Amino acid sequence: MTEHFVHFTHADLLSIAPEIALAAAGCLILLIEGFAPALRRWFATIALGGIAGSLYFLVNAPPGTTFGGRYDTSPLTVFVGLFLGAAAVLALLVARPYLERSGEERGEFYALLLWGHLGVCLMTRGLDLLIIFIGLETLSLSFYVLAGFFRRVAASSEAGLKYFLTGAFGSAFTLYGVALLFGASGGTRIDELARPGLADSSAVTFGLLFLLVGFGFKMSLAPFHAWAPDVYQGMPTPAVAYLSVAPKGAALLVLFRVFSAVFENGMPDRFRAGIAALAILSMTLGNVVALAQRDAKRLLAYSGIAQMGYVTIALVVFGREGLAAALVFFCAYLVSNVGAFAAVSALYRDETKPHPIAMLAGAGRRAPFAAAVFALCLFSLAGIPATAGFIGKFFLFKAALEKGLYTLALIGVANSLVSIGYYLKVVYILYMRDPVETEAPPVLAPADRLALALCAAGIFAIGVFPSTLWEVARRAAATLPFGGP
Amino acid sequence: MDALLRDHLLTLVVFLPAAGAALLLFFPHSARIAARNVALGVSLVALAASLPLWTRFALDQGGFQFREKIAWIPQLGISYAIGIDGISLLLVLLTTVLTPVSLLFSLTHVEKEVRGFSIAFLVLETGMLGSLVALDLALFYVFWEVMLVPMYFIIGIWGGPRRIYASMKFFLFTMAGSLLMFLAILFLAIRYHAATGGWSFALEDLYRLTFTGSTETLLFLAFALAFAIKVPVFPLHTWLPDAHTEAPTAGSIILAGVLLKLGVYGYLRFALPLFPGAAMRFAPWLGVLGVIGVVYGALVAWAQHDMKRLVAYSSVSHLGLVVIGVGAFTTMSLSGSVLQMINHGLSTGALFLLVGVLYERRHTREIDAYGGVAAVVPVTTALFLIATLSSIGLPGLNGFVGEFTILLGTWLSPHRWWAIAAATGVILSAVYMLTLVQRVFWSPFAHEENRKLTDVRPSEFIAAATLVVLMVWIGVRPNDLLDRIRPAVESLQKSVAAKQIAEAQP
Repeated sequence: MTEHFVHFTHADLLSIAPEIALAAAGCLILLIEGFAPALRRWFATIALGGIAGSLYFLVNAPPGTTFGGRYDTSPLTVFVGLFLGAAAVLALLVARPYLERSGEERGEFYALLLWGHLGVCLMTRGLDLLIIFIGLETLSLSFYVLAGFFRRVAASSEAGLKYFLTGAFGSAFTLYGVALLFGASGGTRIDELARPGLADSSAVTFGLLFLLVGFGFKMSLAPFHAWAPDVYQGMPTPAVAYLSVAPKGAALLVLFRVFSAVFENGMPDRFRAGIAALAILSMTLGNVVALAQRDAKRLLAYSGIAQMGYVTIALVVFGREGLAAALVFFCAYLVSNVGAFAAVSALYRDETKPHPIAMLAGAGRRAPFAAAVFALCLFSLAGIPATAGFIGKFFLFKAALEKGLYTLALIGVANSLVSIGYYLKVVYILYMRDPVETEAPPVLAPADRLALALCAAGIFAIGVFPSTLWEVARRAAATLPFGGP
Repeated sequence: MDALLRDHLLTLVVFLPAAGAALLLFFPHSARIAARNVALGVSLVALAASLPLWTRFALDQGGFQFREKIAWIPQLGISYAIGIDGISLLLVLLTTVLTPVSLLFSLTHVEKEVRGFSIAFLVLETGMLGSLVALDLALFYVFWEVMLVPMYFIIGIWGGPRRIYASMKFFLFTMAGSLLMFLAILFLAIRYHAATGGWSFALEDLYRLTFTGSTETLLFLAFALAFAIKVPVFPLHTWLPDAHTEAPTAGSIILAGVLLKLGVYGYLRFALPLFPGAAMRFAPWLGVLGVIGVVYGALVAWAQHDMKRLVAYSSVSHLGLVVIGVGAFTTMSLSGSVLQMINHGLSTGALFLLVGVLYERRHTREIDAYGGVAAVVPVTTALFLIATLSSIGLPGLNGFVGEFTILLGTWLSPHRWWAIAAATGVILSAVYMLTLVQRVFWSPFAHEENRKLTDVRPSEFIAAATLVVLMVWIGVRPNDLLDRIRPAVESLQKSVAAKQIAEAQP
């Protein structure tokens, strides 16, 4: 077993080249920060270059598994890798003008974002629980620091500390889960969990429960959601844009991988019921609490909790059909949610203060483009047809109804109705209220404009022509190991 | 170009307004006059493009014409499938007529955010037309929901003092109904997949599915609820007076003229032929709710002090009559209901427009603020009177033909007493509408400031006169319309009867 770790083959190196590119770009940025601070304005470009390089290596990596079956290059991981890369690119586009406005354009931000992204990539490509855990920790450590990025702002420091404490708790659960599964199966590779009879052992049951809790934390799934609103509020908005989408998708993919390996012949009803309960709780709690929010980032945090509730239905559906629906849902969620955070980032002048929704009054006239894209993203999150969000829910509810999960689907659409209450509230403030602030929102930077335009284009592209995405997602999901027929 | 016009005429009509809206996105914010002229021009082009639908429509066919079909999400058998029969033909034309009429009225009365208003209106038109021509359930649902967004903005931005409450209520009520319909549509497609092994959302494929017992009842209710809210059928009507009162005049015209009809249309096109067994079981309930709507709407309208609220409640009453005709389900009552939808669109559209004319000058809709203004605004008075007479069913005008056909058709059905109850509503409508006219235009002159009222402007006159001409035309030659409606209604009845027989067999 050890040989694999001592002698890397050429294929091993090729398969991990995408992650090496990310790490290298992060290091380069920190070196420039230390030795040639005059080149600061190139940080965003270097970071984007790093991601472009990593995507290039990912797409060209030879398919198959490497590192002795521990590292995956399949259509599924490539699909997810492109999804994560898109989230990172959009976050980076928004980051530069954001940091300039707040006067904190430091290299750490880009380096940490890249390394966090590296961690998420490891999570999605690892077929070994330890690689997944290392990825999770790389992600977490980078984002603990990013949460407290504004050192002089109390809310930011609070966010950093809170995220660290709750995140450490979540990581501990994950590690316990990994240990229990290791104890039961005698290995850390996921495919070693697919042994007959293993599913019934209580060690495996508890191991899976712990993993569910640990990754539930990352997905901000109720009741493990409490950190999200506070962390979102204090963390720089571009970092939130990434954190609110990419790691959640990765966490759900890991759950799919592990559960489908253990429950090769279908998930037992007790697990199904438990996960359904998590989905219902998350949808309902997220939507109801969001109704009462007055801060834009907190509102989007609760909206995200609710959205994770919807997509957890896919895990109840289980198997490749469920995964395909989850992939489409996440692509729709990517363009809508990152777009919403990009708009929040572009619409508020003072980054270090809270972001009350009331301050957006009149933005429809004073910042027409950002406001229009924001409204579009909110309609998409609400699931109005002809937007991406509708397509996400369409495939999700279709998969649920096909499995006979009628109650879950009904609760899902009832929740969609509740969610309209708060999404429309923001639209109403954007367009139907007179400005209270004398100062207009900041001038829209070209990078902001590009990010918003990309999100809007994505929302319409997925919303109006979803068939290609569905086909690609289905083919990608078909390569999930142990995913059933 | 000729081939385009021949093969894709319907697509052209549906998407011209949306293309106009996309064009307007590139106009500068300050280009107010250009924006309103472009919007009006585009809606007129859409009207012109829709006229060949009328002339080229084959009268002897009950099925769909001008069909187009392009795969959209082929994996699930979802396609861009459109086409029209006699029922949707008339509603499409009503839409393409009422949109330029509304925009023409708005030329002089919308000052705020003209570009946004024009975009919203054109998107709304595409949404309405798309819902009317869609022959694929997924496509229909997309258009059906897309309509909500521009209407929400039209009420919420350009509406009256309580516009926020009204727009929110409108959105949530309509959405609540459609979300259940969404699940029902998915369920239908999944059932089709289970039955045939293939996927399809095409209406005519799903027509062939048969259901029994509680499954059919639940699916029917999911569809019927969505449509009943839109109509609105008593007791789901509470969003309507708020939405109407707060909407700007142009919004009210479209809301009453087209949006409400989409509820009845949806019932006829989807709920009824998909689930005929359940529809027939619930038909008595539908009739009773229609009767309640007729009488209740009329009584509440009678008690109103606000002209616009009065016309809004009169819509509840008039659509109750349409619902009775649908519930009675005879060829005659159904044809009458379809015709009456067009009539109501014209007469209520004209009434809202003329109330808007008065409101824009005096900034009040209180009936008591007027009185004896006939001498000051003679043309407005004449137009208002004709619209009123059309609305209350004076022979020679369109309303009479529609009401008479519904009442006679209902009398010939097993539910004779509905016709009696509905007739009281017709009498009541004459009472409150004539009272309104009398109090606004002829009672003793009460307020000095009304002396300064100006009569209709040319743009307002053209808008209202267009509707009046159509009222007279339908009143004199109703068979032009009925000839197009009847084959569609008969084929609907035939498909329902055939399916009921199929469902009766085990």
